[in-house]
Amino acid sequence: MSRFFDMILSAVLLAGLYATMAYGLGLIYGVLRVVNLAHGGVIMAGAYLGWYLHERFGLDPYLSIPVVLGFSFLLGVVMYQVLVRRLPRGAAGGPASLLLLFGVWLVLRNIAYLTFTGDDQTIRTAYSSRSVSILGSPVSVNRLVVLGIALVIAVSLHGFLKRTQVGRAIRAVAQNADSCTLVGIDVNRIYTLSFGIGTALSGVAGVLLATIFSFNPDAGSSELLKSFVVVVLGGLGSIFGVGIAALIVAAAEVFAILVLPSYLTTAVGFLLLVLVLIFRPGGLFGQRVLS
Amino acid sequence: MLLSTRGLTKRFGGLCALDGVSLELREREILGVIGPNGAGKTTLFSLISGSQRPTSGEILLDGQRVSGLPAHRCVRAGIVRTHQIVRPFGGLTVFENVLVAAIHSRRPAASHARDRTAEVLEFVGLADRTTQYPSTLTLGGRKRLELARALSTQPRVLLLDEVIAGINPAEAMAFAALIRRVRDERAIAVVMTEHVMPAVMSLSDRVIVLDHGKQIADGTPQQVVANPHVIAAYLGTTETEAAAS
Amino acid sequence: MTEPSPSTPPSGAAARPTRVAPVPELISRPEGVGFLACVAALAVLPLVLELSAYAHNLITLALVMIAGALAWNWMGGFVGQVSFGHAAMFGIGGFVTGRLMLSLHLPGPACWLGGAIVAGVFALGAHPMLRLRGPYFSIATIGVGEASRLVFTYWERFTGGSTGLSLPIDSDAKYCLYWWALGLAGVVAAASVVIRRSSLGLKLLAIKSDVDAAADVGISATFYQDLIFALSGAVVGLAGGLYASYFSFIEPKDMFGFDRSIGFVLMAVIGGVGTPLGPVLGAVVFVLLRTYLLASYPQLYLGLYGLLLIFIILFEPLGLIGLSRRVLRRLRRRGAGTSVMP
Repeated sequence: MSRFFDMILSAVLLAGLYATMAYGLGLIYGVLRVVNLAHGGVIMAGAYLGWYLHERFGLDPYLSIPVVLGFSFLLGVVMYQVLVRRLPRGAAGGPASLLLLFGVWLVLRNIAYLTFTGDDQTIRTAYSSRSVSILGSPVSVNRLVVLGIALVIAVSLHGFLKRTQVGRAIRAVAQNADSCTLVGIDVNRIYTLSFGIGTALSGVAGVLLATIFSFNPDAGSSELLKSFVVVVLGGLGSIFGVGIAALIVAAAEVFAILVLPSYLTTAVGFLLLVLVLIFRPGGLFGQRVLS
Repeated sequence: MLLSTRGLTKRFGGLCALDGVSLELREREILGVIGPNGAGKTTLFSLISGSQRPTSGEILLDGQRVSGLPAHRCVRAGIVRTHQIVRPFGGLTVFENVLVAAIHSRRPAASHARDRTAEVLEFVGLADRTTQYPSTLTLGGRKRLELARALSTQPRVLLLDEVIAGINPAEAMAFAALIRRVRDERAIAVVMTEHVMPAVMSLSDRVIVLDHGKQIADGTPQQVVANPHVIAAYLGTTETEAAAS
Repeated sequence: MTEPSPSTPPSGAAARPTRVAPVPELISRPEGVGFLACVAALAVLPLVLELSAYAHNLITLALVMIAGALAWNWMGGFVGQVSFGHAAMFGIGGFVTGRLMLSLHLPGPACWLGGAIVAGVFALGAHPMLRLRGPYFSIATIGVGEASRLVFTYWERFTGGSTGLSLPIDSDAKYCLYWWALGLAGVVAAASVVIRRSSLGLKLLAIKSDVDAAADVGISATFYQDLIFALSGAVVGLAGGLYASYFSFIEPKDMFGFDRSIGFVLMAVIGGVGTPLGPVLGAVVFVLLRTYLLASYPQLYLGLYGLLLIFIILFEPLGLIGLSRRVLRRLRRRGAGTSVMP
């Protein structure tokens, strides 16, 4: 029974990370209708940045989040302004946008290979190996902090989208970009902003990931897959919905260990994706648009 | 009886888009379908053309059940639709757009398909645009293309979804003439929905009226126009409804 | 308003119109001759020139990849469903071939055919995925590719795990593989042109433009997508089998790797996605580029691929074919002098 509780706890902790990853992908998809295939690459870049700041300057990874946030945001802005913006109108969701962002992912991978090596890395702090007891189960401090940060991010994102002017403009553009130009919203600026915020979230997810798991320049495809499953399952309608979906995905992964051999656990993400896309492409809540 | 529906119903979750619609279409007839916005006209088309499956009810073509068949099978059976917002194949020329619809068997008699294509393009008046791409056509041209594409599948029933809306009056008149020719020269039965009242009233042999998914009237254009239920549906006055019941 | 063209009867007449649209040939005479000449030239090349083992390797590899890239293009270019997981079928073809050769001692062609069939069936098995559109499909293929890699890497009895398989091949047979590869590339190239110009190609283009509208004119998207995916998978499987036979050592990490899938995407995009023969150019350029890069700048090849992709998508979506068309058009305009009317 305690084993079961351990697993539920693991799933909850993991869900925070997955939700943060999904918000990044989901925001860009919801507003621009573009699937950011470089998502995994940005996560990896965020992980390396956090790792580097820790290795070189001893900066605690969780404190480096603002830096990574800013850096990833800028990266996204550049990606949008220099590249995505030049796609012909109507190319969103088409092969062109996929291939373009895929190219960016390859470049990011290469930069990582050149700057660091291809070796696995992880961020290990003084407290990494410590654990806290929750209802009798040992919980790694890192995972707890990650969950906490993820919750803060979720709440902030929700508040931002619902209560600020910019946030409302973003939601409006997501619903109907054409009408927005009619009422004077600078759609291009909103696109840039959304792309930047999306990559910022991905980058932060990368740092969080780096404190729990190991990574290398090739990391990213399973993160992309999982984020995508969460976005499709949770829909784009609510932050909360994505959270629930992230919990389901995390739980599926945790419990899959009971049934599947260990090397296949990464394939769980894929299996889930196929199942979701075939049986519930409308997500749990049947919504497709940010509302 | 060429086409008939019995108790055709479509529910989306809690919403009932179409509720027990039973209509009949005879050979060489133009049937108009009118009703206020949201009445279920496009849903009706989607069900008959196979784009969506009915929740319940039946659609019969020549006495054979076609309800539930996917769109491409409906076309093979002889039911084809045009779209409210035209959807030409952007990557294909005008000729190819129609040709791809003319080859609707797996082993096409290639020469016959090409002849059919040329003839249909001639019929709608696009014979001089065959090598151009749909993006170079006006809206009227694209609507003709859509019509040509549908006709080249050699249908028995043609569903026209608001073809007249959005084009200028001269084009609209030409289109109306085309629709009459479709019925007279090609012996195709037509079901058309339209917001442009004069068009649908002058073209239709019979009209049915939908409101909130239900069929509230059925008759000649003159009969329908005078029907108090119909007037109430469009104006939305509860007193008229009460008085009429 | 149009005037009735002379070859159509006056309106109102029920007479059958005289033939106004002749059926174009699928492959014109000059094209057919040119194609056969190229194939013939390549066929006699090893007999006429003293090719080093290195050159022989390179050309054979290019020929195998030409077939694979063309087949990828049927899905990614003709139908518009971009697959990032074609390595799965390449690997299956290769390892089925290897196993058949090692365990059943069947001759090469039989093994390759076996590999192709299994790969094709695998592709058909992806049928539920084919209902997905655009990015959903593409991401699902990333999943298929990765899952295949994991499964096959650990399926030691089939693939030999991380140690891989060594195929028995003698140097005479290896020398002959050149012509088998040439034959494969030739057939697939011809098929590519024929498909594109036939009614099948038209239907695929319609599906690519607008899946639902295609259904509304009688085209069954599921049927044609299944067909093309199975064909594409089978051909890529064949390529995998030939590859395995020629290079006689295969391992899952390489055959099923993401880089392998990326390779197919790049070959088609560089050459010209959607064009019937673009991938031929793309495969040749890719193989040469890769060999050169791996030798001189091994640490940069991923990034260069990425930049290449970005460049092509933004500036010349039809790759090398698009570029050459532009150049030809400019030359023609210059040759036409100052006449302006198009």
